[in-house]
Amino acid sequence: MDTSSTPAATPHSSAGPTPPDQEERVWHAGKLEPMPIRKLPDAPPSVHLLGPTVFLVALGVGMGESYMWPRLVLLFGPEIRWLFLIGVTLQAVVMLEMARYAMATGESIFFGAARVFKPLMWFFFVVAILVYIWPGHLSAGAAAFEQITGIPWLITACVGLVLVGVLFSLAKVIYNLLENVLSILIGTLVISTAVVAAIVGTWGDVVTTISGMFAFGYLPSEAMSAAWFPVIVGSIAFAGPSGMQQMWYTLHLRDSGAGMGAHIPQVRGLRHAGEEEAMPSRGFMFDTDNPAELAKWKGWRRWVTFDALLLFWGITMLVTISFTVIAQAAARQNPGVRDVIESGEREAALNAMADSFASAGSSVLGAVFLGFIALIGMNATLGLFDSFSRGQADMTYHFVKGAKRLRMSHLYAVFLWGVIGFGILILLFGPADGPSGILDTLAFLSTFAMGAYCVTLLLVNNRMLPKPIRPKIWTNLIIGFGAVFYLGMLFYSLFQFGVVVG
Amino acid sequence: MTAERVRRLGELALPGFAIGVAAGVIAGGLSLIAGQPAGWGLASALALGLPLAVFGGMYGVLMGKEIFRPGVFAPAGLYWMVAFPISRLCHETVTSTLVTGSPQLREDLLAFLAFQALISLGFAIGFIWLHERITPRWLMRIQAGNPEARRLLAKYVQHAEILWQGREQRRTARARSKGAS
Repeated sequence: MDTSSTPAATPHSSAGPTPPDQEERVWHAGKLEPMPIRKLPDAPPSVHLLGPTVFLVALGVGMGESYMWPRLVLLFGPEIRWLFLIGVTLQAVVMLEMARYAMATGESIFFGAARVFKPLMWFFFVVAILVYIWPGHLSAGAAAFEQITGIPWLITACVGLVLVGVLFSLAKVIYNLLENVLSILIGTLVISTAVVAAIVGTWGDVVTTISGMFAFGYLPSEAMSAAWFPVIVGSIAFAGPSGMQQMWYTLHLRDSGAGMGAHIPQVRGLRHAGEEEAMPSRGFMFDTDNPAELAKWKGWRRWVTFDALLLFWGITMLVTISFTVIAQAAARQNPGVRDVIESGEREAALNAMADSFASAGSSVLGAVFLGFIALIGMNATLGLFDSFSRGQADMTYHFVKGAKRLRMSHLYAVFLWGVIGFGILILLFGPADGPSGILDTLAFLSTFAMGAYCVTLLLVNNRMLPKPIRPKIWTNLIIGFGAVFYLGMLFYSLFQFGVVVG
Repeated sequence: MTAERVRRLGELALPGFAIGVAAGVIAGGLSLIAGQPAGWGLASALALGLPLAVFGGMYGVLMGKEIFRPGVFAPAGLYWMVAFPISRLCHETVTSTLVTGSPQLREDLLAFLAFQALISLGFAIGFIWLHERITPRWLMRIQAGNPEARRLLAKYVQHAEILWQGREQRRTARARSKGAS
């Protein structure tokens, strides 16, 4: 490990508390403040049920799984799902690599990007604002809730926004509250999805859904058209967490105390901001020359790999297989639903899928289906608002002059209430998804950010981490493939068909 | 078996029983909100909710007997791979009898059971996920009058202690870095 001390290195001195008269060892990463060497905490048992991945699952299991992929299966057959398998598997590897930097340093990937090249971080800061301040993601869930209860969706959406703000402002430690709430919501979602899929689906549905995932290379000629290729690109981008959600995961990982995140205090709600410990101005590194520390690191990697494989990959797959089975059953029971789904009107398609269950005699299932959509909308809103505010607060605190006069919790509250206030104004007076003139740009930026974070990951993990904990060549190849995959398809769609993503 | 013993086992079974009932009534409850006929929703909820609740309760009792351990998925996954298809078979039989007058399945029995067994993995994940959050709090409430609950709670406490030690270690590390930085 190429560390240095200030002013002189003490080779093989153990990391840990430093007596005041002794200079401490540091790890230089880029031109920003070096990271002091500290002890890596012991890793928890690798087999566990709950952890920060709950956020990725909550954010990731959304419209892609419940609507976009079932729609593609109805249009092109189950064989199109090989692209979903690639998309989600790629996201699982991205998740592991995001975790590598966050657990090794206690810094977010945004901080890592700033260490490589500060404008790279500001690019993500601006993209987050442009893409995520629009409250459009609320509309599907709130509309589904209106279908069930009759309460106008605008009221539900506005009340929901204020409730989210109050909830996060009153929480003592936001991470703990959110983990508890999302865990119950996701548990309920998983149980309900399984029950409904079990009632409406058949062995044949699930066999074709799963076998379709291995039809590598299948791409019917209609899929390569201006009408459908952009939709496929959008669906791949929405397989699992989309846009910047993977980057925000590094903040949740840090707040959960994973790896060197243990040295960073947790973000608190506005009401308890006064109790927050001072936030250090940079992260920390552990002694990668010490075999005992490296053994602990391997424990942390096992822990996060379990998260990536079982919790993230497994649950995302399970939910999307269930929803595809549900959509196939809907189309079988009511062939008209296929036309509505094909037309691309999202809410009409969701209602048609719900109605087809009701008309087939399974009267309860229409409402249950809409209940899912409302639940998914609630998960996404809770997760998105928290993550957006957390990410922007982190970048502002560390890189805007004078921001350190405030606490991280104050900045978090500013961004949270800012996005809520703006959201309510837009819901009442403006276009929820954003002005129609820039919709294409927003869709482009969201997918572009995914290619960009793959490049950022390669740079950060290979240049800012000590050699013993850098990614292996095969991991770099997969992340490199991810960058080519997202950016290549995005630009192919743009230049070949003149359309961004659908 | 004495009434006292039944009470103790019943208390252990309650969290899993409640999750099973909830899984069954999610469909029924929403159908009422949506204005569907109450009778159909109720029959469907009972036919599915009751067997799931019984199996959910049995899971809690078997946990009390230390056959299942807190936080471990594989045995629970296997358990639901059997229990879930049986529950669905009950549900399908009852509802089809109510609708058509005779028990019917959409596909042949083997394919039906195989499909349900596959879907059961999803149910098992959701069940364990919720059970792990609800049970420790419930055991704390009943432990005073229930030795089995006390023993099971001790297992949870042991598990929590390992996690707590890890957390304390991290907290100490943070305090040290704060002092040094």
